[in-house]
Amino acid sequence: MIELSGISHQFIIGKRGKEKVVPVLHDIDLCVAKGEIVAIVGRSGSGKSTLLNLMSGYIRPSAGEIKVGDKDVTKLSEGEWADFRLSNYGFIFQSFQLIGSMTAFENVELPLVLKGVGVTERKQRVLKLMEQVGIAEFANHYPSELSGGQQQRVSVARSLILEPPIVLADEPSGSLDSENEKTLLTMIRQLNHELGITFVIITHDEQVASIAHRAIRLQDGKLVPNVKDQWPGVHMGYTRLGGEYE
Amino acid sequence: MKLGDQFRFVRQNMKKNKTRLFMTVLATAMGCSFLIVLASVGFGLQQSIVDKIVGDRLVTAIDIYSKDPNKHKEDTRLYDADIKDIGTLPNVKAVTYRNFIGQWMDPFIEGEQVHGDRTYQVDFKAEERAGFGLSAGRMPQKENEIVLGYNIRQQNNDQGVPSEYLDASEWLDKTIVLQVGYYEDGELKKKPIEAVVVGITEKSTKEWKMDQALYVGVDLMEQIEATTGTQNGELPYVQEGSTPEQIAALMGDMPKPSEKRSYNQVQVIAGHANNVKGIAEALRDKGYYNHSIADELKQVNLMFLIMKIGLIFIGTIAVLIASIGIFNTMTMAVTERAQDIGIMKAIGAHPSVIRKIFLLESAWIGIMGAIIGTVVSYGISFAVNAGLPILIQTFMEEEVPAGFLFSVIPPYLTLLACTIALGVAMLSGYRPALRATRIDVLRALRRDV
Repeated sequence: MIELSGISHQFIIGKRGKEKVVPVLHDIDLCVAKGEIVAIVGRSGSGKSTLLNLMSGYIRPSAGEIKVGDKDVTKLSEGEWADFRLSNYGFIFQSFQLIGSMTAFENVELPLVLKGVGVTERKQRVLKLMEQVGIAEFANHYPSELSGGQQQRVSVARSLILEPPIVLADEPSGSLDSENEKTLLTMIRQLNHELGITFVIITHDEQVASIAHRAIRLQDGKLVPNVKDQWPGVHMGYTRLGGEYE
Repeated sequence: MKLGDQFRFVRQNMKKNKTRLFMTVLATAMGCSFLIVLASVGFGLQQSIVDKIVGDRLVTAIDIYSKDPNKHKEDTRLYDADIKDIGTLPNVKAVTYRNFIGQWMDPFIEGEQVHGDRTYQVDFKAEERAGFGLSAGRMPQKENEIVLGYNIRQQNNDQGVPSEYLDASEWLDKTIVLQVGYYEDGELKKKPIEAVVVGITEKSTKEWKMDQALYVGVDLMEQIEATTGTQNGELPYVQEGSTPEQIAALMGDMPKPSEKRSYNQVQVIAGHANNVKGIAEALRDKGYYNHSIADELKQVNLMFLIMKIGLIFIGTIAVLIASIGIFNTMTMAVTERAQDIGIMKAIGAHPSVIRKIFLLESAWIGIMGAIIGTVVSYGISFAVNAGLPILIQTFMEEEVPAGFLFSVIPPYLTLLACTIALGVAMLSGYRPALRATRIDVLRALRRDV
């Protein structure tokens, strides 16, 4: 489903003439299969968010190739990436990233609007999905009028409204209390099980990693193989392209 | 993303800072209004000076002298068919002519002899359309109605030199008796034909030009021709002592009313001064020798054209100043909405969609400004045309000619101003819109833009 081969990335910081190159990722090979829940774990600064941003097309790798399905997305233009994201990805963010001037309904509706779906169909689909994630009664509320858990549900609903094959989640439970975290994780598993949606989740939370089919650890910008560490409930491992779990 | 949804986004965005939006629209409206009012003064002066003061007919008339002998070798005179042919040309309001009645009919009004110098047969309906000027009375509407020249009541002193002209309007509604001469059995006889004086022509602006003509219509001419048996009531020159047979022979040589009739002093009146050039060219193509004063007025029109362009240019500067406001508003809007734009881009909004939304917003400001500016400028134009003559009369003791307009707004000026306002608004919104598409998603999501 998602294949990363030889991905390296470095940031250039500092003023012109005094630039400093900061390598973040080194020669990453990773394959995420269709219908898998993959958690990418690692310490702060290990490069896991950068990896997700590369998969999302927000930044471009310094080297390597990313394939989604059979499509090489590495060389897509900004506009092509936008279309690709809209059609293939759903996004769940740590800080929800809802538009404050829009109601919960309008936030969930936004991908459908961008896709050019008609008003009647939009209304039906949004209300149905909001019902499913348990926030139908807050449809006309603005994000500032909702709790963290409710906002994250709106965010989840928005990520799923176009029924994407892949959902990329960046610390999805980072701003939630334990109860809301549990609800969210149950929802993710349910969606994966029922709809076969592929999830790539960035987390440093064992609880979150435990719902993944496998977790991949990043350390100093590199994938760490054969990890048998402190998270016994988590199936650690990564795959070389075309290979088995190591 | 559908256009309707883009408009919805624009509406939502605009509601976020109504005061700023209002001020920007106000600035655009003022710029647009300034442009229209300024240019309308140029249009107003041109219309009033060229079209009114110089005189409608003077500007729109094209004199046709004859047909071009190179194209019409056999006969260069103008006939019925020519008059009809010319009348079918586009933008021709009327075709007038003045045919001489071939005798002076010694007219009398209440026993007073009328000292005229000629009698014209005219087409009164065409003359009315052409703007035939009357100082008193009205145009003939019924049969046997006649118009007299302004200087018809000429009074001579003892030496027979013209000394004064009495008021011809005193003859209005009075019966004029025309003594139509004709030959019967070699003898010159007179048949009285009565008509009513219904109008007096305008005084000529050229003080040496005396209008002492009688103007009769087709109906009176037919009666005259029926009496004489000749075209235009013309009588032959008969020498003294001619026999009845000789006179009959001379009469036999005269053209008959039923024969082909030629026309003199033919004028084509254009619907508008702007059409004169086109009609004159069409007439030349058809082989008619013609001339119009519009040829001389080209320079005057050119001067006004330059003046109008200058005024529109100055007005456009006002719109450009307003565009700074639009640029500022749109830049602020992009800055304020950077996070929202980032989120939209993150979930898959195409950069062109983002650009379109912001361009639509600036276009909307331009349209609103243009509409308000246009309405206001029509109001100002009306107020200036109504109020300025009163002010001039009150404080400068000068009278503005009737119908003089200081400000005229032709529809295409409105269209031009709106197009300029809209164009400038979109241009000033383009850079902020482009900036919106370049917002970095990650920075926006981290809320550090």
